[in-house]
Amino acid sequence: MDYTFQFSEVFAELPYLLGGAVVTLEIAFISFWGGAVIGLGGALAKVYGGPALKKTASTYVTALTNTPALVQIFLLYYALPDAGILLGSMTAVLIGLVLNAGAYLTEIIRAGIVSVRPSEMDAGVTLGMSRLQLVRYVMLPHTAKTIYAPLSNFFVWLVLGSSLAALFGVEELTGRAINVSTANLRSIETFAVVAVIYVVLTVMASASLALAGRLMFRVRAKVF
Amino acid sequence: MPHLEIVSLSSRYGSEEVLKEVSLAADQGEVLSVIGPSGSGKSTLLRVLIGLTPPSGGEVFIAGERVDYSSRRSLKGLRGKMSIVFQEYNLFQNMTVMRNVTVAPIKIKKRPREQVERQAEALLAKVGMAHKQDAYPEELSGGQQQRVAIARALATNPEILLFDEVTAALDPERVNEVLETIRGLTNEGITMIIVSHEMAFVREVSTRVAMMDEGRLVECGPPAQIFDAPRQSRTREFVSSILRH
Repeated sequence: MDYTFQFSEVFAELPYLLGGAVVTLEIAFISFWGGAVIGLGGALAKVYGGPALKKTASTYVTALTNTPALVQIFLLYYALPDAGILLGSMTAVLIGLVLNAGAYLTEIIRAGIVSVRPSEMDAGVTLGMSRLQLVRYVMLPHTAKTIYAPLSNFFVWLVLGSSLAALFGVEELTGRAINVSTANLRSIETFAVVAVIYVVLTVMASASLALAGRLMFRVRAKVF
Repeated sequence: MPHLEIVSLSSRYGSEEVLKEVSLAADQGEVLSVIGPSGSGKSTLLRVLIGLTPPSGGEVFIAGERVDYSSRRSLKGLRGKMSIVFQEYNLFQNMTVMRNVTVAPIKIKKRPREQVERQAEALLAKVGMAHKQDAYPEELSGGQQQRVAIARALATNPEILLFDEVTAALDPERVNEVLETIRGLTNEGITMIIVSHEMAFVREVSTRVAMMDEGRLVECGPPAQIFDAPRQSRTREFVSSILRH
C-alpha cells in the first residue's frame, strides 16, 4: 500500500471541527440535564409513587432502555411526520436523547435514593428535622454521593453517543468530520483527528467531574 | 410528679402487638434501665417514646404534659426534650464529627453557630473525641462513633436521654469506653432510659431496673431487687441465665 498521510488538510479545518465539538458538548449537556429532570421525577415515582405512577415509570424505563437510542430518534424524525408532526433534525435528536437519558437516569437516581440508610433518616427524625430538612441534610448528600460515579460515566457516554446526531444531518463533531472527509477525501486523517478530539473531550469531562466529585462529595474517582 | 410517665403504652407491628400495655415512670435525673431477652419489646418501647414507631394505645407524659404522637407540633416539642442514642450509632456519614454534633442545634433549633460550636467542642472533649472533630464517621471505630453519637444527642440539651443497646454492635474492647462515657453522664440530672444487656453496668448505674418479656413489663424495682431477689420467676430465669454467661 502506498499511502501518504496528509494531516495538513485536516488541521486547516480544525476550527470548523472544534466548532462541532462545542455542538457535541451542547447536545450532551442538554440531554444530560433534561434527562436528569425526567430521571428525578421517574425515580421519585418509582420509589414513592402509587401503583399507577410506579407502573408508568417502570414501563417508560423498560421501553426506552430496551430499544436503541438510534431507533428512538428514527421514530421521532421519520415516523412522526406520518402523524403530522414534523421535527427538525436537532430537535428530534435532542428529544430522543433526553427521553433516552431520562430512562437510564431514572434507574441511576432510584438506586441512589434507596441507598439512603434508614438509620440515618431515623437519626434525622429524632433530632427534630422536618421532611424538607431530612431531604436537604440526609437524603440529597447521600444520594448525590452514591450516584455521582454512574452519573459521570453516563455523561461521558452521552458525549460519545451524541455522534449519532450526525446520521440526521446535525453538524456536531462527527457530522462535521463527515463533511470534511467528503471534501478532502482524507478519511483516515480526518477521523483520526476527530477520535483524538473525542478523547480530549471525554478526558476533560471526566477530570472536571472527578474534581467536582472530590470537592463536593469526597468521592475519589479515577479518570483513567 | 414523675418526669417521664408511661401509661399502658402499646404498639403493633402489623397484626402483632409488640408492646403490651407497658406502664413505667421515671423521676427527674433517674437512670431507669430496661432489660429482657431479644424481641421483648425494649427497643420498640424506646422507638415509640421518641416517636419513630406510632403507639397503638396508652399515653406518655413529660413533666405532666401529655405527648400527642399524632401531632407534628407535639412531636417537635417532644424532640426538643428527648434524644436517643442508637445501637448502630446512626451518624450522618456525609458530615464531619463536628457537623454531626452541631447540625441539629444550628439548623433546627436555630441557635447561634459560635455558641453551638463551643458547646460541641466541650461535649466532644467530655466524650474523649475532641481530637477527631474534623474526621468523618467512616474514619472512626465503632466505639468512637458511638461516643460522637452520645455527644450529638447531648448537643440538643435533652431532659430525657434514651440509650438503645448502645454497646451491642461494638467489639468487646470498645464496650468499656462507651459505658464509661454514659457513667460520666449519670450525675447530670438528665433522666435516662437505658436498654442494655450489660448487666454489671446496669446494676451499677441504674436507680431502677425494668424487666420486659414478650412485650410486657414483668417487674420493675431497684437493681438489688431485680438481680438478687427478683419477685417474678421470669425475671429470675432471665437474670440467672444472663449472669451464668
